[in-house]
Amino acid sequence: MKLKKMMGRTRWISSLVFLVALFLIVGSINSSFLTAESIISCLNNSVVYMLLAVGIAFVILCGEIDVSIGATMGLAAAMAGTMAQNGQSLGVMIVYALVLGIAVGVFNGIGVAILGIPSLIFTLGAGGILRGIVYLYSGGRTVENFAGSFTSLNNTTVFSGITWFFTLAFVIVIAVYFILTYTKRGKYFIAVGDNINGAILVGLPAKQTKIVAYIISGCFAAFAGIIFASKYGQVNIVAGSGYEMSAIAACVIGGISLTGGLGDVIGAMIGAVIMASITKILVFVGLSSDYNNTITGVMLITIVVVDALTQRRATESARRKRLAARSAPGASPQPLAEEVAI
Amino acid sequence: MKTNFLKGLGAKLKTWEFALLMILVAEFVVFGAVNPKFLALNSLFSSVNNYISICIISLFVTFVMITGGIDIQASSIVGLTSIVIGVSWSDLGLNIWVCIILAIVVAAVCGAISGYFVAFCNVQPMVVTLGGSFLYSGIALLISTLSSTPAYMGIGGFPGKTAEGIYTSFRLLGKWKLFDMIPIQLLIYFGLVVICYILLHKSKYGRKVFLVGINRNTAELSGINSRLIIMSTYILTGIGAAIAGILLTANVDSAKSDLGSTFTLSIITAVVLGGTLSTGGKGSIIGTALASLVICIMRFGLPICFGVSTQNLDLPMGIMLVVIIAGRAITSRLKLSSGSVRKGRLVQKTH
Repeated sequence: MKLKKMMGRTRWISSLVFLVALFLIVGSINSSFLTAESIISCLNNSVVYMLLAVGIAFVILCGEIDVSIGATMGLAAAMAGTMAQNGQSLGVMIVYALVLGIAVGVFNGIGVAILGIPSLIFTLGAGGILRGIVYLYSGGRTVENFAGSFTSLNNTTVFSGITWFFTLAFVIVIAVYFILTYTKRGKYFIAVGDNINGAILVGLPAKQTKIVAYIISGCFAAFAGIIFASKYGQVNIVAGSGYEMSAIAACVIGGISLTGGLGDVIGAMIGAVIMASITKILVFVGLSSDYNNTITGVMLITIVVVDALTQRRATESARRKRLAARSAPGASPQPLAEEVAI
Repeated sequence: MKTNFLKGLGAKLKTWEFALLMILVAEFVVFGAVNPKFLALNSLFSSVNNYISICIISLFVTFVMITGGIDIQASSIVGLTSIVIGVSWSDLGLNIWVCIILAIVVAAVCGAISGYFVAFCNVQPMVVTLGGSFLYSGIALLISTLSSTPAYMGIGGFPGKTAEGIYTSFRLLGKWKLFDMIPIQLLIYFGLVVICYILLHKSKYGRKVFLVGINRNTAELSGINSRLIIMSTYILTGIGAAIAGILLTANVDSAKSDLGSTFTLSIITAVVLGGTLSTGGKGSIIGTALASLVICIMRFGLPICFGVSTQNLDLPMGIMLVVIIAGRAITSRLKLSSGSVRKGRLVQKTH
């Protein structure tokens, strides 16, 4: 009972259970999957998705959406590639990525929070503009030929095969998790997403919180762009398109509700690992990569439908309990407290 | 009587549809002035195939958006119908018209599955159709591996082209021209506009769609089966995507699983520019039709008149979307702050 309650409260635990079950099932089909080497390579491959998903998680927790992150990532990757060609250091890239992320975030934030435009529509437009800027920036050509110290960064390991990038991303996610759950400012995001009118009434800066969420999303996407460039060694003009949908899918798989206010960044991280592992899992199960999209789609739909059905069942059982308590003679208002807990 | 008419006219002039019409006219004037070749309708008609899918699908997505949903899976259904036609014709050896009906049924079932989850399980439409877009494009890819033709080549050689180069039967759907000028796609599109207009604005079904979008509880209380209505809009979108897929396949004579995969953003842009509220309850077919024409003319005109690369049409489209949406938000805010605040609040509430 206690475990069940805990699973209900911290939604990322159920997605972790799902991840472990997935790995065990694949391992039972092909035992060579359950080696440290292949699992670590799953983790290493998930860094780009992880950063994107954790960034967009802030926006989704606020009850909005950001579909411009794919284009932001593409632009950051093109910038990082060009800088690597000119032999600039990683630090400079990070500074530029930060500037880009903040600019995109402020732009999106103003449109969504201040002007009150539906976020899907506005970020769709912003994504189109950014994609166009990628084209102008790279002159329509693929940015390439920047191999060397920059691309080898992606393979630099810390210990037993885990790369620097994964370690950094992991540390950042854990830090973000603690900021989000244990600080006052961090809780603003969830409060705004859960009930924006309530949040405004108790005096939270709702607009400001949303703008900050977009800035975080933009910055994480820009960082993901640097890693993308380092990982693939070339950046074409459509680099990163479609990644926004995968990042949203990762968040949903990680237990974040698209209506806002429910979920946490650890869930997004686990969802990203699942999304990134599918391709590798298919290889081990012996299916071609043609199955990639089908599996993702089935998984996504199953998870959200099961989630919706269990939630509906929970609310219905709560209502039934309430009715039973009311009709029982001399009922005390005690069941109400239980209902609140659910 | 006359003043009434003038009043009506005045009110019409202030509508969003009229503004769209003006933008459309302005596009023709500007593009025509820069490059007279633009006004030669032949070139406009010959590239109709690039844009007609967006126009057709956005009509049907309007229904979904009015109920308060969103559909981002339609573009993957385009590829699915195309590959279903290709494989069932070339590898199963069915009659081409049977293949078309099969494709439409498959698309309707795809729409129904997503619609079922949205309407009956109360899952957010965005997530379901996101999953649907993965699922259906994945299934299309899997079906394409069943064929003996390699997937990257596309299945070609559909019936209907005689040795003299005259198109018959199936290929007519892609190549026939009225008076040797107006392509069949355009005629079908206008037919669909009329059908959708009647369905949405003049029929009982359309009233129900609006009512479900405005207030689902009220709709349910007044005896409307809101679940069926919501599900039916997704089925309609699936059928719309199937029509687009059939026309595309017939025109390019090649069935591919990734046909139409880039349409999603343009479709949503068209519906939203057409004045449909993404929160539901408001929208019009005429608005969507005009907006999709505005987008298509823009996509067609910019490359040939201003030398914008066709790969870089996202930039002007994005700017247009942001400017128009932001402009509308700002003007409605100004209207709210000046004068009729109370009325404005009421309007905001009902929307």
